[in-house]
Amino acid sequence: MNAILDIKGLRKQFGGVAALAGVDLSIEEGEILGIVGPNGSGKTTLFNVVTGVYKPTEGSVSWRGRDITNLAAHEISGAGIGYTFQQAMAFPGLPVMENVRIACEHARKSSRPYPWTTPQSLLDFVGLSALADERAGILPFGSLRLLGIALALATRPSLILLDEPAAGLNDRETATLVGLVKQFPEHGISVCVIDHDMKLMQMLCKRLVVLDFGSKIADGPTQAVLNDPKVLEVYLGGAL
Amino acid sequence: MSKPTSPLQSLLPALIVIVILALVPFFGPSNRMLSLAISAGVNIVALYGLSVLFGQTGILSMGHAALVGVGAYVAAILARDAGVGFWVAIPLGGIMAAVAAAVIGIPSLRVSGHHFVIMTFAFGQLLTIVLTNGGDYTGAATGLDLQFPVMVLGNRADDLVPYYFIVVGFVALSAIASWAIINSSYGRTLRAIRENEKLAASLGINVGRHKIGAFVVSGVFAGVSGVLLAYFFRHISPSQFASFPSIYLALMVMIGGPRLLLGPIAGGILVSFLPEVLNLDPVESRILYGVCLIAVILLLPNGLIAGILQGWQALFKSLSGSGDRKAAANSNRPSGASQ
Amino acid sequence: MDILIQQLLNGLSIASVITLIAVGVTLIFGLTGIINFAHGEFLMVGSIVTWLAVRAGLGFLPALILAVLAVALMGYVLERGLFRFTLTRPTNGFIVSLGLIVVLQHIVIFFYDPNQKSIPRPLTGVWEVGGVRIASVRVMVILVTIAVVAMTFTMVTRSRYGRALRAAVDDRDTAALMGIPVRRYITGVFVLGSALAGLGGALLIALFPITPFTGGTMVMKGFAVALIGGLGNLTGAVVAGLILGIVEGFSAGYGFSEWTDAYSFGLMILVLLFRPHGLFGGTSGPKMA
Repeated sequence: MNAILDIKGLRKQFGGVAALAGVDLSIEEGEILGIVGPNGSGKTTLFNVVTGVYKPTEGSVSWRGRDITNLAAHEISGAGIGYTFQQAMAFPGLPVMENVRIACEHARKSSRPYPWTTPQSLLDFVGLSALADERAGILPFGSLRLLGIALALATRPSLILLDEPAAGLNDRETATLVGLVKQFPEHGISVCVIDHDMKLMQMLCKRLVVLDFGSKIADGPTQAVLNDPKVLEVYLGGAL
Repeated sequence: MSKPTSPLQSLLPALIVIVILALVPFFGPSNRMLSLAISAGVNIVALYGLSVLFGQTGILSMGHAALVGVGAYVAAILARDAGVGFWVAIPLGGIMAAVAAAVIGIPSLRVSGHHFVIMTFAFGQLLTIVLTNGGDYTGAATGLDLQFPVMVLGNRADDLVPYYFIVVGFVALSAIASWAIINSSYGRTLRAIRENEKLAASLGINVGRHKIGAFVVSGVFAGVSGVLLAYFFRHISPSQFASFPSIYLALMVMIGGPRLLLGPIAGGILVSFLPEVLNLDPVESRILYGVCLIAVILLLPNGLIAGILQGWQALFKSLSGSGDRKAAANSNRPSGASQ
Repeated sequence: MDILIQQLLNGLSIASVITLIAVGVTLIFGLTGIINFAHGEFLMVGSIVTWLAVRAGLGFLPALILAVLAVALMGYVLERGLFRFTLTRPTNGFIVSLGLIVVLQHIVIFFYDPNQKSIPRPLTGVWEVGGVRIASVRVMVILVTIAVVAMTFTMVTRSRYGRALRAAVDDRDTAALMGIPVRRYITGVFVLGSALAGLGGALLIALFPITPFTGGTMVMKGFAVALIGGLGNLTGAVVAGLILGIVEGFSAGYGFSEWTDAYSFGLMILVLLFRPHGLFGGTSGPKMA
């Protein structure tokens, strides 16, 4: 299989603290990769470096062979990487339909067939059509998460990074989310999910990476990783 | 849930108001009224620029009057040194002010939030100082005179009534341009930046470049306004473009409502005519302006007009009982051309 | 050379007043996040109160004390009545302060007039030292400023109040949880900053005549100095004030006086561009939640 995102030796120092202490990671085409780790393990820092919020102290990120380490946030999207944020983000004062329309207007040009090219198709996919004319700011939290997914999809990404997409969602909403995300690889979108929710990871990801204190301590098939004694120790000092 | 109004529908109220304004001279207003109206109109053109910057993009500039000043001085200097008149000064004033806006905007936008507002204020003051120290070239503190007539199709057009029509024409142009921006993909992008910059960047929007662009656009409006101002007052000096005028413009845009298409017109007229109506002298009216600015900013951040509309709708909702979901859905969003 | 020293001294006395403004601004903004551009008008009100008191027959010292108290009171009222609603949105606070500038200036004009007001110099002695005429009043201004700034500095850095204050800046929520009455401290800082402005106003009118518009020019310089030194950084404000005073003294001494105002703006713009945290580092305001 093809590695489309390749992270090599990524290091990020904040003063004396190494949030990322040399991480090697790759995302294969068509997979749904999960990244887990206790608080402070560097997951969000990793996310922020890849999406251009931070520049790494050392190391590189390549995307389909192209070095994207120092690209700005808006250029990352243009390169084909879409992402959603930990805090559900939207354009609160604007109607939901307009939110999506804006995202569509900035979609990158892509010649491959893509099922979600219109605002309506995106809203239909995530199930928010009924709320199209409501201001995004009054949306319930679960719907806001779905809107975030719609916005990221609108840009026609080849890779979507989801930062704690299920945080704050109940079981039913989480199941809906999983149902949506599982469809991405069929449409040529690889996925990388960062979360705490192990059940979610088991449902969604075939492969799991575990970070601890900025280093990768496990990388492999989900069930194997979850049974790895090193991982268990790091999380709860015991069984999960 | 109501369907949003179509773009053309949102332009209609503004056009109607402008047509009504154009008919004012036929009701025989006094010279003083007409002068005030022209002065208001000149400000309104600048306000449309400020509302693109503030209303759409969410960037507050406290140095807008300085950009108006650039337009005015360009007009005066061109007339004096190059024999260039009104109709050529208009585009050139707009362009020069746009360039000045870029010069201010590019460095200023690297600086965050409140620092940025301070920067714009500082640049405004700096420009005043530069103009005051420009010696004979800029007329220093006394300023410059503008002798040129304004000609339209071979006839003089700078008496009150003809000039009024010219100004109304530019107000109409500004309103239409503003409307076009608001309803375009560019306007949507600006609003996205206003609502959530981080999200906008994640969708591929180059936030920095768009902000500078918005600043430059606001400069064009300001520059044109400056030329109109110069040819009306016939004498310009640095103090006309210093801190108080910038505060005055900010006040007008906030009272009228930064996001409404009619906002600049409402704000410009209200603020210009309020002292007349209340019979206040210049000092009293400035105190009133200051108090209004504070009140509006604290109580009605969407502007006075929007606040009145909201109040109206809330009243309507409570009078017509609790079952009206439509009013409830609209209660946070002023109707009409608001974006 | 004599002229240079002369101008330097003149520059330093004005710089003292500006430093007082800057210290007030840096304390207020650094510790409460309020951007009060009307701070210059606070200064002006201080001058006016001094003028009124002297006109009514009071000596300079009682007039000065009255000015400090009056402006401190005004600061208290404005913070409780206006600025506390803008704590979460500093840009609104800035706009409110712009409105306040207009209101304060014109209220003074309304009751008095826009012309210059002055008081007889409280100290008329002039010392001749090696060909340089040193007006004792200027020395007084410089000394008072040094004393007051030193006191403020000690209080903020060493006292329990000061430590609590800085804790509140660092992490407002935790400070509140630890029982630090954050709101009251914010009011306190604002009042302190205002008192400094009032003092500055009294000292200023001792040096020069003032108009209702004097505040406007001084505040930009005060803010510039505070920003250059780093907002929230007291030492920075003092050093920056010193630098500006010297620069202005030089420029006046060498005949570029019309541009003196431009230096503070220009310098501030440069600093904001290249070192937005100021030359000596400062906070960018308290962290909001």
